[in-house]
Amino acid sequence: MTHTTKIILAGEGGQGIQTIAKVITEVAAAQGMMVSYIPVFGVEQRGTPSVALIILSNEEIFYPRFDNADYAIVLQKRAVSSVESYLHNKTKIVFDSSTIGAENLPKEAIHRFGIPATQLAAEKFTPKAFNLIVAGKLSQVLNLDEDRVWQKIEKLLGKKFKTTEIREKSKQAFLFGRQFVFELKHFSKPIFQPATGKIVSKNAEKTALIDPERCKGCGICIVKCPVGALKFSDTLGVFATPVPEIDLEKCIACGNCFRFCPDGAIAVTKNKKFK
Amino acid sequence: MLNTIPKSWNSKLKPHLFCPGCGHGIAFKQLGFAIDGLGLQKEITMGVDIGCSLLAWNFLDVPTIQTHHGRTTPLLVGYKMVRPKRIVISYMGDGAAWGIGLQNIIHAAYRNNPVTVIVINNENFAMTGGQASYTTLPGTVTPTSPIGKSPELGAGFKGPELIRNVAHKEAYIARSTVANPIHLLSTLKKAILSQKENNNFALVEVLSICPTNWKTNAKASLDIAIDMEKVYPIGEVR
Repeated sequence: MTHTTKIILAGEGGQGIQTIAKVITEVAAAQGMMVSYIPVFGVEQRGTPSVALIILSNEEIFYPRFDNADYAIVLQKRAVSSVESYLHNKTKIVFDSSTIGAENLPKEAIHRFGIPATQLAAEKFTPKAFNLIVAGKLSQVLNLDEDRVWQKIEKLLGKKFKTTEIREKSKQAFLFGRQFVFELKHFSKPIFQPATGKIVSKNAEKTALIDPERCKGCGICIVKCPVGALKFSDTLGVFATPVPEIDLEKCIACGNCFRFCPDGAIAVTKNKKFK
Repeated sequence: MLNTIPKSWNSKLKPHLFCPGCGHGIAFKQLGFAIDGLGLQKEITMGVDIGCSLLAWNFLDVPTIQTHHGRTTPLLVGYKMVRPKRIVISYMGDGAAWGIGLQNIIHAAYRNNPVTVIVINNENFAMTGGQASYTTLPGTVTPTSPIGKSPELGAGFKGPELIRNVAHKEAYIARSTVANPIHLLSTLKKAILSQKENNNFALVEVLSICPTNWKTNAKASLDIAIDMEKVYPIGEVR
C-alpha cells in the first residue's frame, strides 16, 4: 500500500530551513524511502520566508506535486502566511511557540503542536541551535535513524561548528529535540518577537534614536563606531536579529552609525544648547 | 524629532527589500542626502534596472521607471528629451552596466546625453546567487569559480576608464565607495549638478558590499570594499 507523507517547512531565510530539509530527505533516501524535495526561494536571499516542500513515500513518486500537507512546520511569524494554502483539516501543524503566538495561526490549523525551540536553544544551548532541536524532533517523528541523521548534520554543518564546545552543545540540542514532548494545549508565551516602537535614549548632551522596526542586525554601525559605544542587545529587530544598544556616556555623536546604517534605523544628535 | 532617514526616502516602504548590511542601502542613503541637500526631490525621475537594483523600486519618493539589461539609460535619455526640465538618474548594477547593457552607456556617454548614471559594483551577480561577473577580481571564490576566478578571465572590468575614452571631455566620470560615505555624497552631488547645470553626461561607479553572497560579516565586508580600492581607485576618472 502506498504510504506518502507530505511535509512543508517554512521559516525565515537563513534559519536553516533548507538544511533541515536536506538532512531529512537524504537520510530518508538512505533508509530506502522515495523522496522529493523542492526548495522555494523568493527573489531576496535573506529576510523573506524560505519554504521547503518534502514528499516521502514507500513507492515511486511519479510527479512531485504538492497540495495538502500532512505536516506543516512553521518557525517564524512572517512565514505563517506561506503555509496557509497547503493546510487542510487533517494537517498537523508544528510551530515554534516562542516566536509565534497560537492566536496567529490560521483557522485551518486544528491539530497544533508547540515546540518553543528558540527559547530552549537560547536558554540551554547556543541560540543558533534551535533548528537542530526542530530537526531532532522531526527525525524522531518520521522514525529516522538517530546516528545517521547526526552524521548528515555534521557533514552539512561541520564548518559552522568552529569549536568542540559548539559541536557538543549542538549535539545535545539535537538529542534534546528528539526527546522533546510537544506542547499540546498550554503553549509557551511568544517572547521572541520583533520589538515595535522606537527606542529613544537621552542624556544631558545627546539624544539617540534606534528603530527596531527597521533594523536588520547587520552590525555595520557596531564595526564603524570609533569609540565602541554600540553593542548588540537582547531586543529583536524586524528579522528577529538583535538590535544594537547605545552607551551615551561613551558616544561622541560623530554620526558614523547614522551615515553607514543601510536601513536608516539609528540616529544620534547633540542636544540644541550644546551645539 | 530625530530623523533616521533622508527626507526623500519613501518611508512607507521601509524596511526595504535589500539584505541585511547591503551596500545599496548605504548608497541610497547618500543619494537621499544629495537630493535633500540640493533640494531636487520634486525634479528627479529614477530609472532602475534588473538585478538587485530592481528592489530599489519606489525606494525614493520620486517617480520611478523600470526596464531591463542596461536599457534604463537610453529610456531616460528619451524621457529627458521630452521633459528637459526633469533630472534623470539611471540606477543599475554592474551586470547591467558593464555586461549585458554596456553599449547603452557607451553611446549615451559618446553623445553626451544629459543623464546621471549610478552603477553599483558589488563584484558579482548578486540576485542570482553570487556568480562571478566581469568585475570579480582574480582569485575570488564564487559558485561559478570554486577554486578562485582564473586571471585569464580578466583582471576586473574597469568601466569608468573605458567610458572615459569615448565620453565628451566635459562629462563627469568618477568612482566612489560605500566604505567612504562622505566621499560618496560629494561625488553624487557633483554628478547630479553636472547634469542639472551643464547638461553633461555623468557616471558614478560605487564600489559596494554584498555580505550575503560574499558570506562575510560586517567588518570583513567593509575590509574587502577597502581592498577593492587598490584595483578600482576611487576619485574622478580623467
